[in-house]
Amino acid sequence: MEDDYYSIDSILAENQKIQCTFKVDIPDMGHLDGGHERDIKAQSKVQLPLWLAFIIIYSDYADFTIPPPFSLRVRKALNAEAKSVKLSALVGAGGLWYGFGKIIMRLLDDAPASEMSELLTKTFQSRLVEVIDQAQHFAALGPAGGGGQSGDAALMFREGLEVTERELFLLAQESAKKIKQWYGSTDRLRR
Amino acid sequence: MALPVSLRNSVTPPELELIASEELVEIIPLISMERTAFISGAYGPLRPPNKAKIPLWMAINLKMKKKCHIVPPNWLSVDFLQDRLALETSRQEFSQFPFRFTEIAKLLLDVAPDDIQNSERIRSLLKDIREVRQAKSREGLQKIDHSELSLPNLCSMEINEIRPFFVRAMGVLTQLTRDPVADSQFDV
Repeated sequence: MEDDYYSIDSILAENQKIQCTFKVDIPDMGHLDGGHERDIKAQSKVQLPLWLAFIIIYSDYADFTIPPPFSLRVRKALNAEAKSVKLSALVGAGGLWYGFGKIIMRLLDDAPASEMSELLTKTFQSRLVEVIDQAQHFAALGPAGGGGQSGDAALMFREGLEVTERELFLLAQESAKKIKQWYGSTDRLRR
Repeated sequence: MALPVSLRNSVTPPELELIASEELVEIIPLISMERTAFISGAYGPLRPPNKAKIPLWMAINLKMKKKCHIVPPNWLSVDFLQDRLALETSRQEFSQFPFRFTEIAKLLLDVAPDDIQNSERIRSLLKDIREVRQAKSREGLQKIDHSELSLPNLCSMEINEIRPFFVRAMGVLTQLTRDPVADSQFDV
């Protein structure tokens, strides 16, 4: 999520591809599109990884379209019930939906960027409570439990957790476990 | 960093317990002792049957050797806790407790249950209070945003429990919030 130069997450998030439409001819760069043509023609559509798209879009060589993980359909689904959307399925395994969204937000201008920010923030907030609830539930079960008998919806939700959310899940679980352990440690072995 | 991952996010409960054991409690000593200097200060003299105020760790130590009775603090009583539980369930906000009450209560209940009246009842009251308060901090989670979250009267153990993921969640939200200032810097 961070902008840190050394953040692996940030690098992975930038590996997502977005579709760009070139506005100008660019000679000798056809290999970016898979390598059949020698040049990139104006109006041609190319899937570019974000780290490359960044500079091309900023230099005004190309426009981009909002990628599918943030399409209208997904937005509507998120608005309806954020908890039932599988974010991990949108960006692939190990994908960072929030990180991806953040970069897209950066590429956009005022109004759409605010809209994107709102979408991301709202989604995060509405899913957060469920993430923490489930984490605490699993911490309470202890290592022996953890079976999938806690309802299909919960299981679906867990499968749909995005990497950032997974991290939070682990943090919450760890901390709940520690507290539980401390409360349980009644027998003092002090002389 | 050389610190194990599990210790990086926050302080552990046993560490908090250690910090809490610096707090003073009243005891009725069964031995006499002159005023003695410790690193944290001078305590004593102990003159049975006069009460004395000493740090919790020392009280626990003496108690284990059956050399004192611990006088539980006034908030560690059925009446007080029952009142607080009623307050806690009837009101939205957290009610006020001594900052380290969880740790102190646990230590005293573990070491000196015989000095506390109705210790079993107190245990269950504390558990109820903890659950009510946990439900409230969960509510607080819904209101979390990138800049601040105000949960007054939260106690050290509770803060510690929610710290790792609250901090992380707020960090994420900071990233997701569109900050015009940061963006213009970015454009340059």
